[in-house]
Amino acid sequence: MPKVLHVHRNAQDPHKTRLSTLITPIMTPTTRNISPFLDPGPRTKANSLAILQLSRDNLLPVYLQSPTGNHDGYAEGAVVNTRYGSFPHSTMLNVPWGSQIRASKVDTGSRGRKRKREGADDACRDATAASEKDNEDSPAATNEESAAVKKAVADSSGFIHVLPPTPELWTTSLPHRTQVVYTPDYSYILHRIRARPGSVLIEAGAGSGSFTHASVRAVYNGCPAEGRRKGKVFSFEFHEQRYHKMKEELSGHGMDGLVHLTHRDVYNGGFLVDGNSPEADAVFLDLPAPWEALPHLSRRRPQPPFDAKAAASENDQAEWVSPLNPKKTVYICTFSPCIEQVTKTVSAMRRLGWVDIDMVEIANRKLHTSRERVGLNLNFDRGVNNSARDVDEAIARLTDIENRFREHAAKPRDGDEDMDSADEGDEPPTPARGIPTNVEAPPAAAAEEPSGTTTTPPWLEGRLITRGEPEIKTHTSYLVFAVLPMEWTEADEAAAAARYPLGKEQRVIGAIDKVARKQERREQLQKVQGSGNRKARRKERDEKMGQVAAA
Amino acid sequence: MHSLIRPNAWVALKLPSGSTKVLQITSNTTISLGKYGAFPSNLVIGRPYHLTFELLDKLPDESFSRLRVVTSDELHADVFAEEGASDCATPAAGANDTVISTTDGEEFSLVDEKGNVIARSNHEVLDENARQTLTQEEIEELKREGNNAGKDVIAKLLLSHTALDQKTSFSLAKYKLLKTKKYIRRFQVLPFDVANLAHWQLEERDSSKILDLRAEMIGLVGCWGNVHFGGDDVLLPDPKAPTDAGDEACLPVDEDLLQGRWLVVDDTCGLLVAAMAERMGVLYDGEGPETEKAEEQNVTATGPTPAASEKPQETRAHELIVPETTQKDSDTEMADGPGNSLKQQNDGKQKHQKTRPSDFAIPYSQSNTITVIHSASQPNLSLLNYWGFDITSPNHPPHPLLNHLLNLTWLQLLKPELDTSYSTPPLTASPETLASWKPSRRGNFHRKRRRYARIRHVVDNTRTGNFSGLVCASTMDPISILRHTLPLLAGGAPVAIYSPSVESLAALADCFSVPRRTAWVSGSVPETDGLSNDELERWEGNERFPLNPTLLQGVSIQTSRARRWQVLPGRTHPLMTERGGADGFVFTAWRAKPAEGKVAAKGKFKRRKVGSEAEVVTPTPA
Repeated sequence: MPKVLHVHRNAQDPHKTRLSTLITPIMTPTTRNISPFLDPGPRTKANSLAILQLSRDNLLPVYLQSPTGNHDGYAEGAVVNTRYGSFPHSTMLNVPWGSQIRASKVDTGSRGRKRKREGADDACRDATAASEKDNEDSPAATNEESAAVKKAVADSSGFIHVLPPTPELWTTSLPHRTQVVYTPDYSYILHRIRARPGSVLIEAGAGSGSFTHASVRAVYNGCPAEGRRKGKVFSFEFHEQRYHKMKEELSGHGMDGLVHLTHRDVYNGGFLVDGNSPEADAVFLDLPAPWEALPHLSRRRPQPPFDAKAAASENDQAEWVSPLNPKKTVYICTFSPCIEQVTKTVSAMRRLGWVDIDMVEIANRKLHTSRERVGLNLNFDRGVNNSARDVDEAIARLTDIENRFREHAAKPRDGDEDMDSADEGDEPPTPARGIPTNVEAPPAAAAEEPSGTTTTPPWLEGRLITRGEPEIKTHTSYLVFAVLPMEWTEADEAAAAARYPLGKEQRVIGAIDKVARKQERREQLQKVQGSGNRKARRKERDEKMGQVAAA
Repeated sequence: MHSLIRPNAWVALKLPSGSTKVLQITSNTTISLGKYGAFPSNLVIGRPYHLTFELLDKLPDESFSRLRVVTSDELHADVFAEEGASDCATPAAGANDTVISTTDGEEFSLVDEKGNVIARSNHEVLDENARQTLTQEEIEELKREGNNAGKDVIAKLLLSHTALDQKTSFSLAKYKLLKTKKYIRRFQVLPFDVANLAHWQLEERDSSKILDLRAEMIGLVGCWGNVHFGGDDVLLPDPKAPTDAGDEACLPVDEDLLQGRWLVVDDTCGLLVAAMAERMGVLYDGEGPETEKAEEQNVTATGPTPAASEKPQETRAHELIVPETTQKDSDTEMADGPGNSLKQQNDGKQKHQKTRPSDFAIPYSQSNTITVIHSASQPNLSLLNYWGFDITSPNHPPHPLLNHLLNLTWLQLLKPELDTSYSTPPLTASPETLASWKPSRRGNFHRKRRRYARIRHVVDNTRTGNFSGLVCASTMDPISILRHTLPLLAGGAPVAIYSPSVESLAALADCFSVPRRTAWVSGSVPETDGLSNDELERWEGNERFPLNPTLLQGVSIQTSRARRWQVLPGRTHPLMTERGGADGFVFTAWRAKPAEGKVAAKGKFKRRKVGSEAEVVTPTPA
């Protein structure tokens, strides 16, 4: 529902007042209670999820807590300890998302020992604390244990970044309960099953919740206008522990109103929620046997042999309610790792009236970029290949070796102090001297190299290459897509036929032959000439208006 | 939306040959499918999408084919028969077709009407002279007679193939499929949404126009860009500026209201924008159940006259989005702004004139918007025409994109003072002078003022920054794009850049490589000494550091490919051929806010000398 902000403003002095000061009652960041996944706001907040990026692929989900005195033995309140340092929550609160956070000097050492010797005297504690390198902070920590929260002191090194939660970050950092549906798969699935703002989705097999989070983002449409549907995800989980974990997680993420989680075995229980139909527009099944659940996803009570299961859930021959949206084509995707599951699923889909059945698997590859540094004169850093860069360099080195060898071969004769050999020794160098000049002749190889090492910084050396990551996911699961068209009865057809009667066809569109197209064009041109083009009409009207105004 | 086929909707007709025909279904026309036949459009309007229709034989007194809905059972009849055959090892008599089974083993699998074995799976080699005995003329004759939606032709073709009995069941199934594709007169109506348009553009039209953006990539870019509904619309109040008020009457941009805005650079003719708009819920006009309700009411209330059935289309559209219709009215209509002397001239528009806002009213929502930056003076978003949106139209009918799509040029973004339409102060005129003008001149006056206010708003709004994400599919160098857009992103905002080839993205990722970042952090860039973080964000870069390497985190490049499979009983395998060409790559990262001052990474410090400059090399988190 578009909100128009009605503000009485003085036309003489309009830009002096900030609009937000006038309209704060309508929406302030604090009154908004939207999941941080959907709108994280500009800054980090207490009691809200944040994703800490420790290193490139090392992400840690954390609920930030405002410091309320000593927490778990830390004077700074809650602290995240990582191999990159210690990070009290207080340093990560109310900072812009994406901020780089410095590590703090946190007394991690005395805490554990302190606990062990609970009740031990202070002197002993001080002694242990003193052994810490940051001993000047420790007395403060021990002194005001229950008093005000200790202010974090920045460490000399170590940092992390604090990122706003997104389904992608959550997918890589979530606690695994089951096999996770990763971003390459769910991004494609949500695109194919047309999950859009305002859609209603059924998801069976909530699992670890990665798909749930992504689909909530896809269907979320705020507070829709009167009469419009609110996007929602109906999620089903069979496993009780996973269900409770998931429930907890969803409310922690502020998604209670957007996900309806049900603990149920959908093979037998079906997809109705409190006996009502969710009226789903799209379905995602991540189940070991999707064909067992498919009969529940019909428009009508399924025919034998599929009726057994469906009937079992609906206690009697009473009205059969379909969980699907009766007014739309319903899209489905099933996610199965084995080809046998696919065969059975597809077979059941065909029998149950699904069409446009399509099976794909997604192969995703991540690429790493690096600098491939090959050359003889490069330094001996890690990742440098100290072999010849090209043929010229190889020849240069070979001639160099050759020369040295000759010089070396000449030396012992010098040692003999034999006059003849000394003369001989002088003779061969003449051609040998010639070779080095030859090598120096192509300056690209030899002359540039020494200067290159001084001017080119190491991060610009070598050729830029991309290569795959060391281990790739070659198979996640097979995705089966299908659609179930709207039910179309004789009565519907009769109504539509009455509404759009035949017999008034004027034009032909689509694949028409050249003659027909030319004829049509001719008629069109004639028509335009008859009625006059737009400009002429406008001119005409303007003239008329002018006359009226003059009158 | 997309429940029933509405008149004037763009649809994709999927033909048995696998090709798609895209057309706008207008009522009272004949739709020709070429060799498959022709039918009146009124036979599909008002029907659901995704049904398969079959063209029936023409009735003797009619010049067109009527349609029949093919049930899904009928569509899958061949497969059912195979499954049945493999279950009971006898040729099940499905439908009235001859059954083709491709089950393994030596048992006969194709029988004609008399029960004679026609095909078997054995090791006989096909006779080289094996061929179709029907001549081309005979086939043409059969097609003209056109009985039973082409099924007769197919059956005759099969039965008159001389070597049919020598074909293995597999090749026979293939042969039948081939002939079915060619002769069966069926089609399916698909809704023209982003996925279908992209597929059609990629497979059948010019794929280079959309930079070979495949479905996998659309999904990835959308997800990694975190593109989603960005909050309920917030419209600014009308400043009610009088016509003699100048620049000072323009509404200032209020940062606190801005929310859920995405920045886009789109060289895919608008496909990327469309995909984003779809994810943000601003692509389709008249989404939601009101549409259906209105249609239902129409069916019951008004009679079956076609004229009446088209009317609700327009009225409904007006009711849905009121705010912006008034903004984008044509210039001539606006001529009678304050003095409504000519109101009676066009009765139909009276409704709008009542609520006409002043020239400086801003039609754009402050949240849930897409801001397109383009390199030409107009953005190329031609594909949006398929969803009824034309950015060049001055007189646009209501469309959700109108108040959610903002566009500006690179010049307006980076050097607005050089852009005439931004830097020229707005025209002013007292109401008296205005009243003395001709309507056309008045119209021009209002049009220019409105344009000025809008450009001013879009440019100021964009330059304020704090965007929720950057999504990009462009032929331009991504490094140059990021140099100017990174400062505009809010902290933690995702960046997703698509490119058909990997090279440009690799060069971009290299700007953020670990050694480069380490060198930057250790202060090996003399130019940046003493700059504040804000200045560093907008730093122009040099040869060694094209971008400030600390502004992005989690830089990564990926590619995805969907491999399609054929799933048939006993014949499940990946498709033999698929579209090649550009693979498509996506660069992803998050905007970071580096801490003020020098930050060192934890770890062992190792010193090394490179020429004259000493560097600290540390195992930085990548």
